[in-house]
Amino acid sequence: MTEGPVTEGPVTEGPVTPLLDARDVRVTSAAGVLVAGIDLTVAPGETVAIVGESGSGKSMTARALTGLLPEGVHATGRLELSGQAYDLAARTPWQRIRGSQIALLLQDPFTSLSPVHRCGEQIGWALPRAGRAAGVARLLAEVGLPSEVAGRYPFQLSGGMRQRVAIAAALAAGPGLLIADEPTTALDVTTQHEVLELVAGLQRARRMGLILITHDLRLARARADRIMVMYAGRLVEEGPAAEVMDRPAHPYTARLAACDPPVTHRLPALPTIPGSVPRPYAVSDACAFADRCDLAVEACRTAEPVLAEVAHRPGNSGHRAACVRPSDVRPVAAPLLAVPPAAAVPPEAGLSPALLTVRGLTKRFPGSAAPALDGVDLEVAAGEAVAVVGESGSGKTTLARCVVGLERADGGSVEFGGGATGPRRVQYVFQDPYSALNPGLTVGASLAEALKAAGRPRSEVSGLLDLVGLPAAYARRRPRALSGGERQRVAIARALAPGAEVLVCDEPVSALDVSVQAQVLNLLSNLRRDLGLTLLFITHDLAVARQVADRVYVMHRGRVVETGPVGGVLGAPAHEYTQRLLASVPAATRAE
Amino acid sequence: MNGAVLAFALRRAAATLALLLALSLLVFALLYLAPGDVARNLLGTRNVTPEALARIRELHHLDEPFLAQYWWWLSHAVTGDFGTSIRTGGQVGPLLLDRTGVTAATAGLAFLLSVLAGVPAGIATAVRRGRPLDRVIVAASVVGVSAPGFAVGLILLYVFALGLGWFPVYGTGEGFLDALWHLVLPAVALAFGLGAFVVKLTRAAVIRELDQDYVTFARGRGLSERRVLRLVLRNAAIPIVTSLGLMVAYLFGGTVLIEVTFALPGLGSLMEESVLFKDIPVVQALTLVVALVVSVTALAVDLSYLAIDPRVRARAVRR
Amino acid sequence: MKPVKRRMKRRPPVVAILSAVVLAAVAVCAAGRELLAPHALDQDVYLGVVGAGVEGHLLGTDQLGRDILQLSLAGARSALAGPIVVAVGSMVIGVLLGTFAGYRGGIVDMLAGRYADLLLALPSVLLAIVVAGLVGRGYWVTVAVLIVLFSPSDVRLVRGAVMEQTPRPYIESARILGIRPTRIMFRHIAPNIVPIVVANLLLNVAFALVALSSLSYLGLGVPPGAPDWGRQLADGRALLGDNPLAAVVPGVLIILTATAVNLLGDWLSELLDRRVVAR
Repeated sequence: MTEGPVTEGPVTEGPVTPLLDARDVRVTSAAGVLVAGIDLTVAPGETVAIVGESGSGKSMTARALTGLLPEGVHATGRLELSGQAYDLAARTPWQRIRGSQIALLLQDPFTSLSPVHRCGEQIGWALPRAGRAAGVARLLAEVGLPSEVAGRYPFQLSGGMRQRVAIAAALAAGPGLLIADEPTTALDVTTQHEVLELVAGLQRARRMGLILITHDLRLARARADRIMVMYAGRLVEEGPAAEVMDRPAHPYTARLAACDPPVTHRLPALPTIPGSVPRPYAVSDACAFADRCDLAVEACRTAEPVLAEVAHRPGNSGHRAACVRPSDVRPVAAPLLAVPPAAAVPPEAGLSPALLTVRGLTKRFPGSAAPALDGVDLEVAAGEAVAVVGESGSGKTTLARCVVGLERADGGSVEFGGGATGPRRVQYVFQDPYSALNPGLTVGASLAEALKAAGRPRSEVSGLLDLVGLPAAYARRRPRALSGGERQRVAIARALAPGAEVLVCDEPVSALDVSVQAQVLNLLSNLRRDLGLTLLFITHDLAVARQVADRVYVMHRGRVVETGPVGGVLGAPAHEYTQRLLASVPAATRAE
Repeated sequence: MNGAVLAFALRRAAATLALLLALSLLVFALLYLAPGDVARNLLGTRNVTPEALARIRELHHLDEPFLAQYWWWLSHAVTGDFGTSIRTGGQVGPLLLDRTGVTAATAGLAFLLSVLAGVPAGIATAVRRGRPLDRVIVAASVVGVSAPGFAVGLILLYVFALGLGWFPVYGTGEGFLDALWHLVLPAVALAFGLGAFVVKLTRAAVIRELDQDYVTFARGRGLSERRVLRLVLRNAAIPIVTSLGLMVAYLFGGTVLIEVTFALPGLGSLMEESVLFKDIPVVQALTLVVALVVSVTALAVDLSYLAIDPRVRARAVRR
Repeated sequence: MKPVKRRMKRRPPVVAILSAVVLAAVAVCAAGRELLAPHALDQDVYLGVVGAGVEGHLLGTDQLGRDILQLSLAGARSALAGPIVVAVGSMVIGVLLGTFAGYRGGIVDMLAGRYADLLLALPSVLLAIVVAGLVGRGYWVTVAVLIVLFSPSDVRLVRGAVMEQTPRPYIESARILGIRPTRIMFRHIAPNIVPIVVANLLLNVAFALVALSSLSYLGLGVPPGAPDWGRQLADGRALLGDNPLAAVVPGVLIILTATAVNLLGDWLSELLDRRVVAR
């Protein structure tokens, strides 16, 4: 299957009986509405992507359609499957529906299989007892695994293989519709690509419907026939994938698409969406996006816009949006720069003295066969931004931890040039914003402590908050009152408190929603410009690396396999592994 | 693979042996714990003449260094020779053997009762989390873990033996059925707390597994609720078996009180009598025997992981 | 975006309130023993044991002619004081040793681990019986023995909780910022393991109450003649025919008090758990 818009979906002309036809699906919890009435149809062989950020209600919708809502959460609405109608509020006979009609595939292949059962057993449970072994072997072959995997336990397999086993198990009862909830988010880029290809192939072969739940617009564009965009529990836009992406009719879709950084070129600043997503039940009688929308007018704040056909567009094919001014929505075009922005001019490696020098670093964790670091050399000049990219197990995080002294290397050296090497000159920003701050301390107390450790006065707290774009009043808040993006800002402020020269960022945006990710990346690039900060940026995301770094190191199995200016390495990769990484990136914006 | 598993088992056994050795040192030191002269303690209330003291000193090698004395004691203990009881003047070994039957029967019956009632109750409550049945059983299990066995025992005695007259008050009875009949109330008293403990830990283990992704996925691909429950129980078996192993230690603490309450001539009441009488050789022997049983149970639990948890098996093989 | 913290302000459940009432009553009896039960130790040897309802002895008397009601009220003190001291004492050891072992690792951790292994290999009640029996029979001696015997499981608990916190980014950040280890341990880690410590403290009180009354039941805890529920039970065992209340009343009191402490502990740990999740 080729990249780019998928055209081989079903042709939605004539009376095709939909596989699934859900009307007014509404999900409520004790706190309030989580999903506010959604209609959804899927035809045989069709792929529908439900796209949204965290809290959009996309996963709840998937759970509601399979009767697997968590305790205390209830659904109402009508569900029609192959002509048979069910009331979601009544006792739905899920036993007859799940497996043979709808199957749900989950995100994390590491937890979605039972750890103490062999893969063959787990696949076979849904098969009739007679001929079970043959059936398991057939399913394994279908997902591209050798039949001996049947005798293995999940912990003996890689993430990609586990997800293949899970797919085989999900398909065992022959469902007409597969709902895949972020099926590749937990996997490495190259594996993601393979698994998505596999699913697409199976779907074609079985003429199966597919609902793909994802946060990734680019992936939706590459894989889906139709896209449904959800925001704060509401469906804000739906239509053919290409149509929605190229001619968005809801401002949120347009802005969200723009937040996603391209891998091909560097933007001077990433477009962002100010503010954060409201809770679904906190919005009433208004457009949920109105507070963050620059097109918002009075009508947006007095009534909730209804989903309506985007009439004036040519080739009308079910493109609908819940916006009062759909015709004013334009794709957000990020300005392209011919020359990289000033701050990003890479100091020629070798000319300016290296601030951080890593030589021949080795590290092997006890009990593991392969070394985590196998002789890594790395140099970062003052003021430079260097990205280290690689998949899980490449050793990139171990490298970062060795640099700041959280991990002790077995061999090699880490040196800081240019004067004395104080321990606080290099600071660290962690991946998970939710555990980055002590939950018991206020933001102010955390920052004051960091300042005090470096011998600086408490009075600088508000200055630090200002530096990361937070109001001074945030000093009194506790971490739990902050959003993920805000926590990450505080974590950056704390790292800056002792006047750090080098900031080691370990996947600082990978746990954040796209719109927030863009905010944090912009913040880092501003800080770099204003403070002359040096960045060592660890990421699995090539597009993110493209945006922040001057130079890039590609790591694979504990070794650096390729290095050079980011434009060169990502534009014309020399090493086979880098080429494979690049080829796996979903290519909505790459296919120029 | 089998060689690796055997090596794992041997390694665990060696660790248990080392632990037992350390414990035996501790147990031997008990002799010195009681206030007063060791020789006098060993003589007990018998006539304390200089000759008797000298004889005791010689018999127990009390003039030799501590470690030599320990070695002398241990080398006899492993052959089953724990010396003579101060109270009865008889050999400790046969005395213990004589008392083992009652304790084993009571503890075994209590263990069986608590597992047979506790595990199903724990599963039932976990599956019906938050519903009335769950609340009632959970509340009852809190009372169960809070109630000391002897208090329960006395109340049972009062109600079922004295009040209703269904069961005998004291003693062991004659013949198999009568003996069993005599052991019912003690075993129930012992099983009350134990069973509550089993309910609590089974419920917690099953609930933890029910919340796992693999359960959602199993339902999401249409497996029957019966199959899902079997899947959950197979996974929950690992923590449950661990805790059942721990309970053996708990049983031994409880059996002392129960045997005293019901006047049963078992190891527990022997322990009580010996402690009150400061019959140190018997106390040492009993403590060592309990340590042995508890450690061997822990070893058995560890080894049972090889059978029930493939991850442990794989790790054992890899090492 | 306001987090939903309102839900936490919910009224505590009836069980928790009832438990608190029971414990408050026991505490009042323990504190005001001299006022509430002035005649607890008066022996009416001529009267001997009588059943309930005798004039002046609502619940009857024991074999020494002591009033069961007064004796039971007076027994509240040893039922509460000792267990609280045991729980707090062993938890102090647990927190100090467990935090060090969990954060520092190395030799301290190794020694703490072996110490716990050794003591946990024997049932603690059994060890308490042996040690208390051989060392001496005072109430506070027994309490001290129980502190030592309870501490290994607290060391393990705290060590585990600390080791769960140590690899978290906020602790690692503090290390990179150059904050002193003692400050990290007691300012950053300790407050975050408070929920576990508090919940376990209450469970230990209940367990210590059962253990202490077990020992006095065997004649090892309080000295003979002192008001104590366990000892009352031991005395009452022989009186089941004459005045069953002599055994039933203290028995029910032990069960009631221990249950109340356990229920309160369960509720508290659930509450604190929820707060941790809400973070």
